[in-house]
Amino acid sequence: MNTMKLLNKIVAGSIAVMLLISGNKGFSQGAEKASLSITLSYYEVNNQLPHISALVKTKVDGRFKPAGGIPLKLFLNKDSAGTVIGKVVTNENGQAFAFIPPSLKNEWKSSKTHTFLASFDGDKRYESAKADLTVAKAKIEISTADKTITAKVFQLTDTTWVPVKGVDVKFGVRRLGADLPVNETPTFTTDSTGQASADFKRDSIPGDAKGNIVLVAKVEDNEQFGNIAVEKTVPWGAKFVPVNTFDERTLFATRSKAPIWLIVVSSGIILAVWITLILLVQNIFRIKKLGQETE
Amino acid sequence: MENSLKGEQIVQELLPRKFKTSGRIWVGILVAICLVGVYAYYRQLRYGLIVTNMRDYVSWGIYISNFVFFVAISLVGSLITAVFRLAGVKWGAPLTRIAEMIAVGAIIFASIIIIVDMGSPERFYNLFLYGRIQSPIMWDVIVITTYFFISLLLLYYPLLPDIKILLRFKEKSGPGLHKFYSFLGSFWKGDHKQYLLSKKAINVLCIAIIPVAFTIHTVTSWLFATTYRPGWDSTNFGAYFIAGAFLVGAGSVVVAMYIFRTWYHLDKYITVEHFDKMGRVLVLLCLLYLYFNVNEFLTPFFKMKESEAGYLNDLFSGSFAPIFWFAVLTGIVLPIIILLFKAGRKPLPMFIVGIMVVVGAWFKRYLIVTPTLLHPFMPMHDVPKMYTHYFPSWEEWAISMASLAGAMLVITILCRIFPIIPIQETLDEHHETAK
Repeated sequence: MNTMKLLNKIVAGSIAVMLLISGNKGFSQGAEKASLSITLSYYEVNNQLPHISALVKTKVDGRFKPAGGIPLKLFLNKDSAGTVIGKVVTNENGQAFAFIPPSLKNEWKSSKTHTFLASFDGDKRYESAKADLTVAKAKIEISTADKTITAKVFQLTDTTWVPVKGVDVKFGVRRLGADLPVNETPTFTTDSTGQASADFKRDSIPGDAKGNIVLVAKVEDNEQFGNIAVEKTVPWGAKFVPVNTFDERTLFATRSKAPIWLIVVSSGIILAVWITLILLVQNIFRIKKLGQETE
Repeated sequence: MENSLKGEQIVQELLPRKFKTSGRIWVGILVAICLVGVYAYYRQLRYGLIVTNMRDYVSWGIYISNFVFFVAISLVGSLITAVFRLAGVKWGAPLTRIAEMIAVGAIIFASIIIIVDMGSPERFYNLFLYGRIQSPIMWDVIVITTYFFISLLLLYYPLLPDIKILLRFKEKSGPGLHKFYSFLGSFWKGDHKQYLLSKKAINVLCIAIIPVAFTIHTVTSWLFATTYRPGWDSTNFGAYFIAGAFLVGAGSVVVAMYIFRTWYHLDKYITVEHFDKMGRVLVLLCLLYLYFNVNEFLTPFFKMKESEAGYLNDLFSGSFAPIFWFAVLTGIVLPIIILLFKAGRKPLPMFIVGIMVVVGAWFKRYLIVTPTLLHPFMPMHDVPKMYTHYFPSWEEWAISMASLAGAMLVITILCRIFPIIPIQETLDEHHETAK
């Protein structure tokens, strides 16, 4: 009897464990939707047309991973048909971009601060999600003198631009992959006049054919202003002289552009050998002549 | 009196002879192989290189392997004739004509096979009109032409005294050949001045042919070595090619020596001692070539760079391994073992070793060209499956075999027209010995 009870307990316990193991995934099939996290960023370069970037992530196995193919609706200030910035779909990196369209020019001018809204309606895989970002209008002015770069950060208050104190500014040189800092200090903070200055210490950096390089002063991921940057071209780089062997005498040029040394050496060898051979052929005729004379 | 009778006997024994039935069958077989090759080449001209199995990756196949093989064999002319002569090796004198005939036959077909490899041979002249002196292919064209010309002269000059002898036997040679001999050298009287001019010319040719011979095969190796590919990217290639060329050339002379000796009963002129000495030369060349092979393969094998690993593994233990080890064992290792023994340097074993060396060398040339092309640095992607391997089509085989048959036909015709062993030189040697 006791044996039967023990057997029943083992069987019941085993079934319970199996259900627990299999049930975790089995019950979740199609029942739960994943949630999305949307992060908005604001960008403005050279005080020109600003754009919004949305980064959408989802949690997979406890880690955030980019969510591609997510359709987002972007709005300026309020969620209404008249303030639509655009509809975008995230790429494989979970990113989507949109410029503020000319149709929102009046809306944009109407305020010194703006709120960007992003919304996702939800689908079979993901829950609906929303995000917003509020930025104040700001700009940077850049000036250079004696290899010193000065940036001034201004914020729009009512109708005037006033300097902003305590903003972190980075100075760099635009390169192909990223911006190269102008010296070893990574960031500079603006003073009470909104100014920050950095010494340029990249003297030998290659520029274009005239030695021009592009300097950049930027505020990155600022809670108040977002990402703003301003560029200036200065002739502080080393002149880049491209080495172009086109139409010059090289081993890989056309036949008329063979290196002189090669022409001289090869012609010398060919002439030396073939003159010898011609003389040897002539020698046959000399032998022939001698034979005819003997006759 | 006895001396002149003996001399006359030498002349009679060394005069070119008409083909008997076996000779005619031999020529018939060679001509038949050539005709099949001509038909295959007609098909290649008619339908283009698509009839071959060469595609985007293996664009140099059996034709170029054959070309390298012919260039290699042709070097024997410079070894036996020039190097031996300048080094004062007198025992090599009876072999000089054989070597020169092989050199001429090989170099003619080296030139032909390179044209066969061209998709549009009718545009060959563009190479001269628009060729770039910077290109190793142009160097090869120049040096092959030069080498061919020198080989012809080196065959012709020592023939002059023999032609004088041949002209004495009008009945035996027939009117056609007699006319041809007259055209070639009826002016040779053999007086002192003519002899001096001829001797001087032969010495100049012997000196000239050595650097040209080295150049021809070095440049051929550079066709590969100047191309950045696994297995070809080697600074050892020039010396490696020349060592291999001397070996296959010497091997082919040994084969020819045995055939001519047996066929024409030339035992008195091509003696057992000649085989023994050629055996010593051959074993030295085998060891030299083995050394260059070790150089060529050991260091890449030791490093086993990722970009070359596929090529090396395929060669050592992959699909090319049977051919590779066959070529190494048959063409280098076994000949060394056999030739180290005196019994191995007897005529028949030498003949077998000669064939082993020549066959091994042919496969070695195939291995130089094809495996490399099947293992490019950039992996093959999205290509038809047939691009990833190579086996010659019947047209390629037919043309290649026809070129080999053609070279042998040239040698056969030359030995029908001219004495295989220089008659006058043999007579001079006989008179000196008699004194």
